[in-house]
Amino acid sequence: MAHAATLEIKNLNKQYQVGDKSLPVLEDISLSIKPGEFVSIVGSSGCGKSTLLKLLIGLEDQYQGDILLDGKRIVGTSLERGIVFQEHRLFPWLTVEQNISIGLLNNTELSAEEKTNSIQEHIELVGLKDFANAYPYQLSGGMSQRVAIARALVNRPEVLLLDEPFGALDAFTRAYLQQELQRIWEKEGITMILVTHDVEEAVYLGDRVVVMQPRPGRIKRVIDVNLPRERTRSSAKFTAIKEEVLREFADTPDTVEELTTQTTVNEAPKNSFLTADALCY
Amino acid sequence: MSEITSSVLIRPAGAGRWFAVLGNLTHRLGLSAVGLILPLAVLGLWQYAVNHEWVAIQLLPPPELVWQSLRELWDAGDLTRNLAVSLTRIGWSVLIGSSIGWLLGFLMGLSRTARDFLYPSFEVFTQFPVVGWIPILIIFLGIDEGLKIAAISIAVVVPVTVATFKGIVNIPSALLEVAKVYRFSHSQVLLRVVLPAALPALFSGFRQGIMQAWLALVFVELLASSEGIGYLMVWGRQLMQLDLVFVGLLVIGLVGVALDVSLRYLESRLQSWRHAAH
Ligand SMILES: Nc1ncnc2c1ncn2[C@@H]1O[C@H](COP(=O)(O)OP(=O)(O)O)[C@@H](O)[C@H]1O
Ligand SMILES: [Mg+2]
Repeated sequence: MAHAATLEIKNLNKQYQVGDKSLPVLEDISLSIKPGEFVSIVGSSGCGKSTLLKLLIGLEDQYQGDILLDGKRIVGTSLERGIVFQEHRLFPWLTVEQNISIGLLNNTELSAEEKTNSIQEHIELVGLKDFANAYPYQLSGGMSQRVAIARALVNRPEVLLLDEPFGALDAFTRAYLQQELQRIWEKEGITMILVTHDVEEAVYLGDRVVVMQPRPGRIKRVIDVNLPRERTRSSAKFTAIKEEVLREFADTPDTVEELTTQTTVNEAPKNSFLTADALCY
Repeated sequence: MSEITSSVLIRPAGAGRWFAVLGNLTHRLGLSAVGLILPLAVLGLWQYAVNHEWVAIQLLPPPELVWQSLRELWDAGDLTRNLAVSLTRIGWSVLIGSSIGWLLGFLMGLSRTARDFLYPSFEVFTQFPVVGWIPILIIFLGIDEGLKIAAISIAVVVPVTVATFKGIVNIPSALLEVAKVYRFSHSQVLLRVVLPAALPALFSGFRQGIMQAWLALVFVELLASSEGIGYLMVWGRQLMQLDLVFVGLLVIGLVGVALDVSLRYLESRLQSWRHAAH
């Protein structure tokens, strides 16, 4: 794997069934993402960002339209597509090392030895060598999120989806992890899609920023970020692009505040205890 | 001078050692030494009540008589024999009851079809107390060992099934999604997500099952038996030898605590990752 892939989303529509009503969540999403591109997606809460990632990763298959990876329709989940969820979602009964090895559990391309090496490499990549045998409860939020990133990367996926991965972290850790992520992206050359509601983060990391609007979720505008990396957040050009993105929210005043305040306000993770239906085969 | 100091010093040191041993023991049992205060106070009150003849001696035997009966029963082998009989009944019933309970719990937790099919009947089933089953069971099983084990097993099935079912249903869907992302097979989901995530619930169901087994055991042995700890108690009551009843209570209590402690130990060994929560 590890060669980057072209991801094409064509006329994507998605509804959720709420009671007997069909609630449109995504409407006519079309987006073509080049191999190795870094695309940021911004939009206020509830505009369907997580739903979009869920469709792209293959956890949800009720939709209309096409999702094509190198021209082929995606079917279910695949080790070629990785995801980092908003919450770290580590298995609490496994150590850091074991959690990362989960990523390789069903990888058939690597030998046992290559797997061991790859796991060690990725532990070092995210700077957790001293915590390889620690359990999740012994880690800070930032460390847990780094483990989750390593778990997603260890397969060397072609596409990595990130759902507000730094939303719950303090500004300091967030800035550090943003830089780490950029370093990994440059090193691995994979396609990355980052969902965030932090406009600055979106502009800092993205080759393009996709602005979404809610009810139902649509793409409002796609803005190119033609700035060389490593980007300086205080530069005039950077600020100009940031302003341009923020202006897209001007007609929906309730969201502007949320987006300008460098939001650390993360949605509380939804109550993830649901009926056993998720388990029913 | 030196004599005084030595005697003064030795005594507290001796007592201190005993306290330390006792404290250590209770700590290992997961209890705090403070927990001993109440039982000791009850024992004191008991002795005091006996001394002052608050209650007729036939109704409230003095602690030393209970202790003496315990010794006699132990020496004669009666205690071990009856305890062995009861523990065998408990053992079989817990084995049968929790196997059925786990099976039902897993089936209903994992399969929507099984749940739709079984849950209504199970809900009705849980409404009957063990007593209610006995007349029916007698018809099919007589009043021998089979009846006792069947009745106690029924008491075990209910809490084990409920806890197992709930444990599985409450597994965070977030973790199940992770399993899907990494393409876990069904058996991987079962062994690597469902089992570890539901383990605390499985244990708590098992512990409740054992507790219910003891309750049912005493009941069943009171009703129809010629041996066992429960029988010992009935016999003691009929002969107005209440010291035997107290011995029975004491033994049941001690065995119960011992079982609970060893289960808790096993549980904590299996779940070192949960240390933070405790
Ligand atoms: N499983 C679901 N069933 C019904 N509605 C849902 C479900 N998941 C999300 N929604 C709704 O879809 C909309 C988009 O949700 P989401 O994709 O989580 O938005 P975002 O990630 O942008 O905050 C919200 O209105 C949300 O309430
Ligand atoms: Mg979201």
